[in-house]
Amino acid sequence: MKEEYLVEMKNINKNFGAVKALKGVDFIVKKREVVGLLGDNGAGKSTLIKILCGVLKADSGEIFFNNKELSISSPYQAREKGIETVHQELSLVNTMTIARNMFLGKEPIRKVGFFSFLDKETMNREARKVIGDVGIKVRSPDEYVSILSGGERQAIAIGRAMYFDAKLLILDEPLRALSVKEQKNVLDHVNQVRDQGISVIFISHNVYHAYSVTDRFVLLNKGEKQGEILKEDSTPEEIAEFVSSGEKLSKIV
Amino acid sequence: MAFLIIFVTFSLLSSKFASLHNLASILTVTSELGIMSIGIAFLMIAGEFDLSVSSVYAFTGFLFIILANRMNSVAAFFMALMVAAVIGYINGQITIKAKIPSFIATLGTMMFLRGILLGLTGGNSVLYQSDNIMPHILTEYITGHFRPSHIWFIVLIIIMSIILKRTPYGNWVFATGGSEKVARTMGVNTNRVKIINFMVCAVLAGLAGIIAITRFRLANAAFGTRMELEAIASAVIGGTLMTGGFGSILGAALGAIIMGMLRSGLVMAGAPSYWYEAFVGLILIIAATINLKLRNTG
Repeated sequence: MKEEYLVEMKNINKNFGAVKALKGVDFIVKKREVVGLLGDNGAGKSTLIKILCGVLKADSGEIFFNNKELSISSPYQAREKGIETVHQELSLVNTMTIARNMFLGKEPIRKVGFFSFLDKETMNREARKVIGDVGIKVRSPDEYVSILSGGERQAIAIGRAMYFDAKLLILDEPLRALSVKEQKNVLDHVNQVRDQGISVIFISHNVYHAYSVTDRFVLLNKGEKQGEILKEDSTPEEIAEFVSSGEKLSKIV
Repeated sequence: MAFLIIFVTFSLLSSKFASLHNLASILTVTSELGIMSIGIAFLMIAGEFDLSVSSVYAFTGFLFIILANRMNSVAAFFMALMVAAVIGYINGQITIKAKIPSFIATLGTMMFLRGILLGLTGGNSVLYQSDNIMPHILTEYITGHFRPSHIWFIVLIIIMSIILKRTPYGNWVFATGGSEKVARTMGVNTNRVKIINFMVCAVLAGLAGIIAITRFRLANAAFGTRMELEAIASAVIGGTLMTGGFGSILGAALGAIIMGMLRSGLVMAGAPSYWYEAFVGLILIIAATINLKLRNTG
């Protein structure tokens, strides 16, 4: 029965000095599932995700990925396993070109003797493809990211994750600071990602942002799991009510 | 552009400016400053500063003479550069581990090294009394007015430009300076990048120091004082952003050449050399403003 799990985090604890950021949190993501991770600021969402993508190390607890124990100590290793993260405002370097950003940390190389050079041809060609796939209009992959809008940046970051065959895509507040039209575009991309069989964790403090694409919600509050809700069981209003009340839910999925 | 304006202006002001002899002598001074500026630019693009380069320049040069006088110049050359690399490593570790801005960390190592140099030598000069191998390789005239250091300067411009623009490592350098957080989440080991760049910067500063010292065949403890500011100015004039993430090796090298032309040109045009710094100050401000404008519109 566990075969349908992509991610299984068990009893995760993390302290920052005297602050208990996570207190025995269990968290599951099934294959081809979009999980909405909800909670107020300081609920522990970011901490949980940083542990999963290799930025932080849990003090205790177990993590399984594809039913194998996951031991990673850097974002690089997480990316090698197929865990790609798109952080709000934090996934592209503004002072670099689109093509250079696309392949940051996973640059294609061309060997000449002992030396490795950037394979610029591949970079430009593939970046052009990704730009086309996510429907962005720029003249060339050599354009600097700083000229793109917030939505275009998110789209490119999501396109990059898909390009690198992510098994799990983590979206950290992907709609914050976007126009309504751009929000819709990003949500369309999330649906595309799921249709390709990739699982998604959609982190938000706003249930309305995530509601249309999410299958299941996990609620965090002050470092503890408040509960889980399937989308078909609730309206967004009810979920928002739970998030703001901070009460434990009896309903466990 | 600025480069051409200065060149033409001084050529008009003084007939000797454009002579082969003078251009070669500008290139001699520029090679030393320029090699240092290349290292500074490489580090600044990764988002860090190194003020200690002037002290590393003097310290490495000194060490080279002392070692060369006891063994041979080739071994001394490599050992002195290794010490420079260690100093760069320490600069990097202090900046990363103590989490203090590199501006402060390297201000500290700059004063520390200079102080040690003054203390050990008591302010006395040391003469070079060793074989001619490294002086031949580095600075003895080849033909006419040209020295090997000119060639090394150009070779280093090419190598460092290729590393920065054409290798994965160069991509990591840009990313580390542009946004350390993004670089890290994308899997770049930003601390390693910074430490390596600190080391490259220090080794190039040390190399510049050794080149200068094989030219003078003499070292004194005040050697290269305030050169760090000229090197940073060269990098900024050449388009390197103070905030990191953007810049070029060729730009920094041209910046250094502009500084060299200014110094020589002002003297030849009959201005007292004291005016040099005033001009550098003006050009620095103008260049930084233009670079920012170009980036914001482009």
